[in-house]
Amino acid sequence: MRKLIPLALAAAIVAGLPSAPASATGAIKCKAGPQAGWKSQDVLKAKLVKEGWTVRKSKVDGGCYEVYGTTPEGDRVEAYFHPVSLEKLYVARRGEVLFRKPGY
Amino acid sequence: MRTILNNKPAFWLLLSLPAILLVSGWRQGRIDSMDMLHPTGEWSARLMILAMVLSPLLSILGPKRWLNWLVVRRRAIGVAAFSYAMLHLLFYLIDMGNLDDILAEWLAPGIWTGWAAFALMLPLALTSNDASVRRLRAAWKRLQRLVYPAALLTLLHWIWVHNSYAGALAHFVPLGLLLLARFIKKPLSQMKPQGV
Repeated sequence: MRKLIPLALAAAIVAGLPSAPASATGAIKCKAGPQAGWKSQDVLKAKLVKEGWTVRKSKVDGGCYEVYGTTPEGDRVEAYFHPVSLEKLYVARRGEVLFRKPGY
Repeated sequence: MRTILNNKPAFWLLLSLPAILLVSGWRQGRIDSMDMLHPTGEWSARLMILAMVLSPLLSILGPKRWLNWLVVRRRAIGVAAFSYAMLHLLFYLIDMGNLDDILAEWLAPGIWTGWAAFALMLPLALTSNDASVRRLRAAWKRLQRLVYPAALLTLLHWIWVHNSYAGALAHFVPLGLLLLARFIKKPLSQMKPQGV
């Protein structure tokens, strides 16, 4: 028992390795082409605020815009948007996926 | 230099340094509450891993001065790991700002794992004193083994809350490998007298 607990942890970590995706960052990928063709984050923020979102922070992740904020329904989430079409692609709350556009 | 380095308050100051820098950055408005979460959590995990790799390293490398230097300070490292977890939780509460939002997400995979890891670390921190070591005797060691499930929960918390494996694995894979190596090495080291 004394040795089994650390061993179980070691096995869990090492066995978990192959399950890590090759692209180790970002919930989804956008492949939206060069940034020159993207809409600005301010345009996205303005659009979201108009729809009833509260935007706390936004950044680029996995070639998408990632937004931390509150949905019009009042859920605190992180959401991914396509940087060209500004379409909502993925919404999650701390690892719990609330929405994912088919194909992403 | 050596006396400063071996001084107990100086070691505590060293452990507190990242927290001091982070909190002063936050107070000056350079760091958002939200952006305090990742670094405080990462320091907690780092210190937890540091405390956990010492005995595998000792059994693999044998007694080494620098290793012993750390081993005698392991309890402080563990308490510091818990302190960073507390700071992490504090900034989570500040960032969330209200109970409704906290309750709405508390069953999310990235969140319950964090709460559970913190709950397991709590008794470890509370018993990290000489009086508890004396009072609990053999049970103290058994209790401290809660750090293993706490570490697993911390790893899952990190991966799920962050949508990213790279940082979490960079920290936890060395721990996993060392624990594994120690297990493999064990029969060998049992043949010779233990150094420590």
